[in-house]
Amino acid sequence: MEENLSRRSFLKKAVGIVVGLTAASSAAPIVRYLIPKLSKEGDNILTNADGEPMNEKDIAEGSSFVGSSAFGPTIVVRNAGKLIAYSAVCTHLGCLVKWQQNDDTFLCPCHAGRYDINGKNISGPPPAPLPKYSVTIDASGHILLGKV
Amino acid sequence: MIKKIIDAIDERIGIRADIKEQLTEYMVPSRMNFWYSLGAVLLAIFTIEIMTGILLLINYIPSVKEAFDSVALITGTIPFGWLVRRVHVLGSYLFIITLFLHMISVLFMGAYKKPREIQWFLGCMIFGAVMFTCLAGYLLPWSQLSYWATTVGTNFPSSIPVIGGFMVHLVRGGELVSQSTLSRFFTLHVVVIPLLLIFLIGAHIFAMHRTGVSNPPWTTDTTKIPFYPKFFLGDLTIIYIFLAILFFFVFFFPQIGFPPDTLVRANPLLTPEHIKPEWYFLGSYQVIKIIPNKFLGISLQGVIVALIFLLPVIDRCEERRVWKRPIFASCVIFAVVAYVVLTIWGSYS
Ligand code: FES
Repeated sequence: MEENLSRRSFLKKAVGIVVGLTAASSAAPIVRYLIPKLSKEGDNILTNADGEPMNEKDIAEGSSFVGSSAFGPTIVVRNAGKLIAYSAVCTHLGCLVKWQQNDDTFLCPCHAGRYDINGKNISGPPPAPLPKYSVTIDASGHILLGKV
Repeated sequence: MIKKIIDAIDERIGIRADIKEQLTEYMVPSRMNFWYSLGAVLLAIFTIEIMTGILLLINYIPSVKEAFDSVALITGTIPFGWLVRRVHVLGSYLFIITLFLHMISVLFMGAYKKPREIQWFLGCMIFGAVMFTCLAGYLLPWSQLSYWATTVGTNFPSSIPVIGGFMVHLVRGGELVSQSTLSRFFTLHVVVIPLLLIFLIGAHIFAMHRTGVSNPPWTTDTTKIPFYPKFFLGDLTIIYIFLAILFFFVFFFPQIGFPPDTLVRANPLLTPEHIKPEWYFLGSYQVIKIIPNKFLGISLQGVIVALIFLLPVIDRCEERRVWKRPIFASCVIFAVVAYVVLTIWGSYS
C-alpha cells in the first residue's frame, strides 16, 4: 500500500515536471517571436511618404516638411535660412506636430500641445520637449539627420 | 426523418435529458424581470458580431496597402456589404451599452456577492476583453481616424516607468503604428480575443448554472419555475426589442460611427485635427487630458478598474437590497454620472 502511494506521488510529480518543462520550453520562443526587433540608430536621410529622399531646396523659408527617417516621423523647418529638425512625434500621446508659421511654434492637433521653435514644450499636456536632430546636407542636396 | 435522427442521437448520448435539465426545465426565480434578460441579449449580439465578422473577413485584406480599399469595396460594391459592416460596428456599440447596463444591474442587485464572486470576476474579464477587441478592430479599416486614434491609444502605456516604452513597442510591433501593428491587431481581433471571449462567456454561464440565478433582492418570494417557456419567451422579446433598436440606427442613422476621418486613407505623416477615440473611451481620454501628469491619469484609472474588479472581496456584507446600502448606491450613481459627464465633455473638448 505504502509502496503504491509513493509510486503514485512519484508519477504525479513526473507528470507535473513534464508538463511544466513543455510549457516553459515552448513559451520562450513564443515570447521572443512576439518581441519586435529594435530599429537601428545612426545618420539617415529624410524621405517623403513614398520613400524618396527630400532635397533641401524643396523647403522654402518659413515653411516646414514632415517626412520619415530612421528616427521615425521627423519635422524639418527652414528658419532664417537654416534647417532645423525635430522628431514630429508629440511627447504627449504620439500625434504629429505641425509648424505654425504665424507664431513660430509647433502645434499638436490632438490636445493642443505647443512647443517653441527650440522644441521646448510651452503649453498644453506635452510632458517633454521634442527630440532635436542635427541636419547636414550631402552633395546631392539630401537632408541627413543625426542625434544631437 | 429529422425526428428519427434526433432519436438516434438521443438514444446514444442522451441529449434530450441534458437540454431538459440545463435549459428548458432549469429552475429560475419566478420574479425575474427585464434586467435578468440582458445576459441573453449580450449572447445574441455576440453571435451577430461573430457572424458579421466572418462575413467581413471574406473580403477584408489585412495589409496597409490594401486594407482601406478592401473596406471601401465591402461598403460600396459588395451587395449588402454596407449592411454587414454597419451591423458589425453599431452592434459593437450596442454590446458595450448592454454590458454596461448588465453590470450596473448586477451592482444594484448585489448579485456579485457570495456565492457569485466568480461570475463577477469573469464578467469583468469579459468587459476588458471586449474593450480591447474594440480597440484592435478600430485600426483595421486603416483610415485616418483609426490610424491616429490607435497611435494615441497605444501610447498610453508609455507613461509607465521602466517598462512603458517596451510595452508600446510590443503592442505596436515596432516604434510606430505600421504593418506590424495591423497584423497584430488583426490576429487579436479575429482570433485571439474571440476565442478568449467564447471561453470566458462559457465559464460565466457555467458558473451561473452552478450557483443558480440570484433571487431578486426586492422580493422574499423564492419560488422557482422552469426557464421554458415563460422566461425563454421573455428573453426572446427583449432580444427583439434590442435588435429593433440596432436596426433603427443602422437604417436611419448610418453616419453614426463613421465620421469624415473614417473616409480618408491613413496618412502616417499627417495627424488630422480633432482626433478622438471611440465614444466608450472618451471618458478615459478626458481624464488623461485634464490630469496634467499622464502617469497619474493612467494610474488613477488603473486603481478604479482594480477596485471594480475586486468589489466582491471589498464589499463582504450580505445585504443585497440597494435601499439598505445608501453609501454604496450613491457611489455607483456618482460613478455612472461621472462617466457620462466625462464622455460628453470628452466629445466636446
Ligand atoms: S498627443 Fe500631442 S498634445 Fe496630446
